Amino acid sequence: MSGPLHGLRGVVLTQAWAGTYCTQLLGFLGADIIQVEVRKRLDSWRGSYDMPMPAALREVPTAKHPWNCNPLYNSVNTNKRCVTLDLQAAEGREVLLRMVRHADFVAENFSPRVLGNLGLGYDALREVKPDIILLSLSAYGNTGPWANVPGIGGTIEPTSGMTALHGYEGGPPMNSGQMYPDAVAGLYGCGAILAALHHRQSTGEGQYIDLSMQEANLAHIGDAAIEWALTGRQRPRMGNRHTTFAPHGIYPCAGENRWVAAASETEVQWLALCGALGHAEWAADARFASASARKANEDALDAAIGAATAGADRDSLARRLSAAGVIAAAVLEADEVASDPHLRERGVIETVTHPEAGTWDMICSPFHFSKTTPGATRPAPCLGEHNFEVFSELLGMSHDEYEALVASGVSGVGPPDGYEGGTG
Amino acid sequence: MTPRALDGVRVIDFSTTVAGAWCSRLLADFGAEVVLAEPPAGHPLRQLAPFDHAGASIPAAYFLANKRSVTLDLDSEAGRGVFRGLAARCDVLVSSAAPSWLATRGLEYGSFGRADLVMAHATEHGMAGALAETPGNDLTTAARSGWAALNGLLSREPLKPSGWQSSMCTGVAAWAAVLAALWRRGEHAGEGQEVDVAAVDVMASTFAPAVLRTLYGGETLRRRAEVDMLSGPVPVRDGHFALTISRAHFWRDAMHILGLEDLAADPRWEAGHYRASHKDEYVGRVEEAMRGWTRHDLFQELAARRVIAGPVLEMAELAANEHLQARGFWAQLDDGEAPATFPGAPFKMTRTPWELSGRAPAPGRAAEDGR
Repeated sequence: MSGPLHGLRGVVLTQAWAGTYCTQLLGFLGADIIQVEVRKRLDSWRGSYDMPMPAALREVPTAKHPWNCNPLYNSVNTNKRCVTLDLQAAEGREVLLRMVRHADFVAENFSPRVLGNLGLGYDALREVKPDIILLSLSAYGNTGPWANVPGIGGTIEPTSGMTALHGYEGGPPMNSGQMYPDAVAGLYGCGAILAALHHRQSTGEGQYIDLSMQEANLAHIGDAAIEWALTGRQRPRMGNRHTTFAPHGIYPCAGENRWVAAASETEVQWLALCGALGHAEWAADARFASASARKANEDALDAAIGAATAGADRDSLARRLSAAGVIAAAVLEADEVASDPHLRERGVIETVTHPEAGTWDMICSPFHFSKTTPGATRPAPCLGEHNFEVFSELLGMSHDEYEALVASGVSGVGPPDGYEGGTG
Repeated sequence: MTPRALDGVRVIDFSTTVAGAWCSRLLADFGAEVVLAEPPAGHPLRQLAPFDHAGASIPAAYFLANKRSVTLDLDSEAGRGVFRGLAARCDVLVSSAAPSWLATRGLEYGSFGRADLVMAHATEHGMAGALAETPGNDLTTAARSGWAALNGLLSREPLKPSGWQSSMCTGVAAWAAVLAALWRRGEHAGEGQEVDVAAVDVMASTFAPAVLRTLYGGETLRRRAEVDMLSGPVPVRDGHFALTISRAHFWRDAMHILGLEDLAADPRWEAGHYRASHKDEYVGRVEEAMRGWTRHDLFQELAARRVIAGPVLEMAELAANEHLQARGFWAQLDDGEAPATFPGAPFKMTRTPWELSGRAPAPGRAAEDGR
């Protein structure tokens, strides 16, 4: 079986997270994703040639090259093939354009001027493939006074308005624990290419898509933008609280850093919560007797619930609450997510063997289709792993031609010639 | 008329959640014709605070815009009959209901008898798996996906992302999955299918880098111990500001701008791993130097040298932001009602642009006559 996009191909210049996540999602949907990378300037999520090997990989005998063993890169590039090309070299650009003839879409997340400066902008791509779809995913988009201002998730979160909404009640604005705006932009980028493919399917026309991470993330919190437009209010930071429902919080359990999330959105769930926590008397407490009373007395409500959960075992409490119909879940740490039985049962967690990094459980495709089910997830590629495979398959390149590209430094694997640093 | 990417696609959305509503909103924004089939009491999102001065739900104003509405009681045979009639003429159904809810009403995919139908399920836990019938929301999905454990401070409770973030991501993923299924249907004439997109799957997917870092690193990533410039924005003269140092030249240029010449000159600080292990030696000094700057001035100086940095902006500032205005981001609805500023396109398609054409409809009314 294969995913719904089987038969489509992307030749992509995506890097770090937003772009690579976008194209990884398209790969999960069945498209053939060929990632073009530059050896002289490694994808920042591959790290650097001389970075240390991650701790748990130091005992893995196949783990030799840190740039093939970076968990950041390997988490967001599964199912792809990787070729290397020096795009500063005319020969490298020529090979890229030859590949684009065999592509349905191109995606990139360089700074806005880079692609054009290389002579690889939309018009150049369209010349070799008239119906090509090009997605440019950048911090602030391709036009406007900030077009050339660089940005990453950690700065788009503040400039999109997201950071101002995130944090504890009454506390300072905070960024998320990892660069969430990248993931948001990647999701929209995936849909953007699909929308363009839909248009191409009915008209034969490709197009150019300009995705600004700032705008995608601002649209993603658009309800707070409308709140300001309609009322003049900046939505305050609310911690774990909900605009409407109470209780709605994360409460301590027995042990260090053990927490349970619990909420009720209906009277039935509220009564179930009271019962499951052994406090049926709360139902008769005037402070908590109605939804509006609970919201008005949320501090007292949270204190009471926190006191009731504090001595409880996290997992058995979460199970008991869920079984009673309460909206509840244990707060899982990152390692617990990797072994979550529900995600495993749904096939979101797969065990993937990487040729260097070894065998690990990984979070894979979030998509499920009843008819077009993709096969097992393939590991992220090593740098240049598919050079000859892709060049010969797409371009009919001979071994001698490929060796000439390697000899001239246009393609190859590992650090470029003349690289002075260590190789791990 | 300007063509739209999804011209001709007909959608019935009988979901009751933000995730389902955002999926169908995106379908509508790019040209699909979307009809909400909402319960007689109104879509549940209409009850969500905050409310505008007229008492209407602000989340509903955003999530339900660009659609038309019919009210149908799917608990009654008559309501289901009308619904089936509508569904017979649509390409896509959007549902947020649990498997048992659909089964007891006879509204499963197979019951529509349409091989070409695409039916998207945007739910919290999915249509299969041990949790399929377990209630959840953005809070519990933040807990199950790992995001809460990484957000906030270690000394305090974990934090969910703000607002309806996991619902929104799920809506985007469901929208993309619907488009993938439609593309497949277009290539393989008449082949529809079910699409199952669960919030917990989507948010785990967005959390994948943290999971693999934890496994490769041999140590579980945790919430930050304190708020400092390494974790995000820190105070400056008129608000908060994020200075993200990665490449060596960012360090040199930023330290120079902040007047910390000794830090700029010492090459040891250019290596990220050195900075990470010696942060006590510079973080306090850099943050103190930043406190003398306004967000605007510091951003201008750093941006001119292409150093990655960002001020924390609030909605009033974003509404007035010169860059967003120059790009025409904000959309105005010109429908004779009070002017309304809406967030615009999440991305710009050059041939088939995003469009905002109508406010959220009143229940049971087409958008254009739903006042």
